[in-house]
Amino acid sequence: MSLFCLGVNHKSASVDVRERLAVAQHALAEHLHNVHGLDAVDETVILSTCNRVEVYGAAAENASAIASVRDYLNKTFEMAPGAVDFYELSDEEAANHLFEVASGLDSLVIGETEIFGQVKKAYSVAQSEKATSRYLNKLFQQSFSVGKLVRTTTKIQQGSTSIGAVAVDLAEQIFGNLKGCKVMILGAGEMSRTTAQSLVSRGASSIIVSNRSFDKAEELAGELDGRAIRFDDWERSAADVDVIVSSTSAPHYIVTREAVEAAMRARPARSLFIIDIAVPRDVDPQVNQVENAYLYNIDQLQQIAADGKAQREKQLKICRGVIRDYLEEKGIEALREPRSGKPKPDASTSSADPSYTAGPLPPHS
Amino acid sequence: MPEHSLFLLISIGFFAAGALLSTAVLRRGEVAPAWMRVAPALIGAVFLTYFLEQRGEMHRRCPITNGAEVLTFIGWSVVLIYLLLGQAFRLSLIGLFTLPVIATLLGAAFVWLSFDDPGPRPHDRVDPWLEMHAALSLLAYGGFGLAGIAGVMHMFQNRQLKGGHPSGLFYSLAPIRYLQTALFRLVLIGTILLSAGIAAAFFMQKSPSLTHWIILGAVWVVYAGLLLWQRFWPLPPNRFAGLTIASVAFAFATLAVL
Repeated sequence: MSLFCLGVNHKSASVDVRERLAVAQHALAEHLHNVHGLDAVDETVILSTCNRVEVYGAAAENASAIASVRDYLNKTFEMAPGAVDFYELSDEEAANHLFEVASGLDSLVIGETEIFGQVKKAYSVAQSEKATSRYLNKLFQQSFSVGKLVRTTTKIQQGSTSIGAVAVDLAEQIFGNLKGCKVMILGAGEMSRTTAQSLVSRGASSIIVSNRSFDKAEELAGELDGRAIRFDDWERSAADVDVIVSSTSAPHYIVTREAVEAAMRARPARSLFIIDIAVPRDVDPQVNQVENAYLYNIDQLQQIAADGKAQREKQLKICRGVIRDYLEEKGIEALREPRSGKPKPDASTSSADPSYTAGPLPPHS
Repeated sequence: MPEHSLFLLISIGFFAAGALLSTAVLRRGEVAPAWMRVAPALIGAVFLTYFLEQRGEMHRRCPITNGAEVLTFIGWSVVLIYLLLGQAFRLSLIGLFTLPVIATLLGAAFVWLSFDDPGPRPHDRVDPWLEMHAALSLLAYGGFGLAGIAGVMHMFQNRQLKGGHPSGLFYSLAPIRYLQTALFRLVLIGTILLSAGIAAAFFMQKSPSLTHWIILGAVWVVYAGLLLWQRFWPLPPNRFAGLTIASVAFAFATLAVL
């Protein structure tokens, strides 16, 4: 029995290709049945996320299994043969790749943890659809162990890599738990939205949105379950918030030292975290001189995020060493159990027919 | 070496080992797990208690009869409050700052005793109110000491945040809001203990000297004033932290006179 992996990811294929190949959650079972129904394939797991579409499989003979899966994908998703540059990995390479994927080493944001859950879910669906057997069961169980091992024994998760994550980390080092923190957003742009969502995801509440266009403020406030205020009123409300996120398109400073000093006089013992993600800047740098007010602009946030990325990239070598050691110790040979027979899906179901074409499916994350 | 000195030396060893281990791990860019600070502090505290107990037996009174013992008792108070409240106040890594301070205090006491140990006090009649006064006052100093350490941590965190590019240690220390809360509470605990210590002095058989009263009163006024000020006219937290550090320096300086 051999192991194989056929797929594309954010490094090997453009988003156009990835979205055409993406397998929607509701169609996953169907595709699993179809791939599992291919003669050359004994076991299979399909992993489809916004950054990758990969088919893992176990087969008696890899070359024919890979060819049949490739043909199936081309046919199903109406791709011309050869139009997609699939990577094809076998045995140790495929196992190593899965372990790297589960550990977040192959992700766009190195070390991110979401992929671990996605791998688990893909395996769980395949298992419940009876598309896996002892070989892939063991391999995926091992990938979960390796994923945990890499995360606990290295610093791959240390350091924030996005502006939103950096803002959240800084806010947590100021306020501790963000539950109950009040956030004011100046400017209803995309960056404000993303940063505010990051803060809300960690428990921040009472979102106040202020924008020159009140309609846009109301729209964003509705989205974030907050309330909109007129732009002229933001200074009055500033005394009662913990975090200000500013990203207006104003050509001059909106948040002045005088305005912040006035706000702080009303709450001297309460810290104020100001995130200025506008270019040109919205917040006068002098604001950072105000006691108990902490100002971060986009350059500073990006620098911290870049440091976080660099730190994670440095960890890649160590993480790969952990995976290599694991593979050397356990060895892919350990997976090679005596063949227990292929548990094929019920022949009466239409989805078991390998010639069945599900057609292009909508992209998903 | 007398047995009690050996206990003191062992306790210094544990506090210093905890501090060195945590610092060594930190220098590698990692944060040592809490047990690496709490366990040495706990074992060190046990040996320190043995030391104080033996000195107490020797004097047949509370072992705060000379400068070295006073330093030791303050070190014991700091470690006691650290172990009891450090975790409860969620003051991550306060041990990293506390253990070296305790090791230094005890180290100074050990050297002092090695060169100038006045030996046992005459076994005359002991005034329990005097014992109570001294013990509670020094426990208060332990609280003030830990508040000073939290103040240093706050100033470090504030400086890191203001600098715009925080280091790795910044993310491992307690959030600035927790430090602010802990600072106020530690000053409050210290002030309550000092108030109780001063109250005990009123019942002593022989009233303390005027200088003693003035110094104790001054320390109490500084801390009570700080609390009242912060309660009714809140200062920016970093200024409060700075005042806490200045106050603990003043309080410890008064020990030289007392």
